[in-house]
Amino acid sequence: MDKDTVERDLVRLVLTVVELLRQLMERQAIRRVERNNLTEEQEERIGMTLMILDDRMTELRTRYDLSPEDLNLDLGPLGPLLPRQEGRH
Amino acid sequence: MTAGGPPHAEVALVDLLDRLLAGGVVITGDLSLCIADVELVRISLRALLTSVEGATEGILT
Repeated sequence: MDKDTVERDLVRLVLTVVELLRQLMERQAIRRVERNNLTEEQEERIGMTLMILDDRMTELRTRYDLSPEDLNLDLGPLGPLLPRQEGRH
Repeated sequence: MTAGGPPHAEVALVDLLDRLLAGGVVITGDLSLCIADVELVRISLRALLTSVEGATEGILT
């Protein structure tokens, strides 16, 4: 249990929570867009922001050598926290 | 606890939360944390969780 392991595990925990929130907001955003009650500019900015967030997450994961599956907790009877990876970019 | 639908269809928690928010949920409860019969923390909870558009569509009326 060296210092690096502790740091990596801590980062993993934090990124897991962030990723959960990111995906949740992504889904909610899609709902909103489907409802068509957002302005063109709002849709544009939300899409852009979510994309940048996604990139930043990938960046952070790479830095700490974490795979997307590393951020997906198995909740036992509740199933996985995030959808299983299936060729998702 | 399993989600509805075909068996073995895995529903990720994030999808569950997404649907929950779309409809809106109310959580009420009382929590007390005790150690050795000494009550240390008491949480009285009454929470409404909903997506913003849900709130504007008559859930709250």
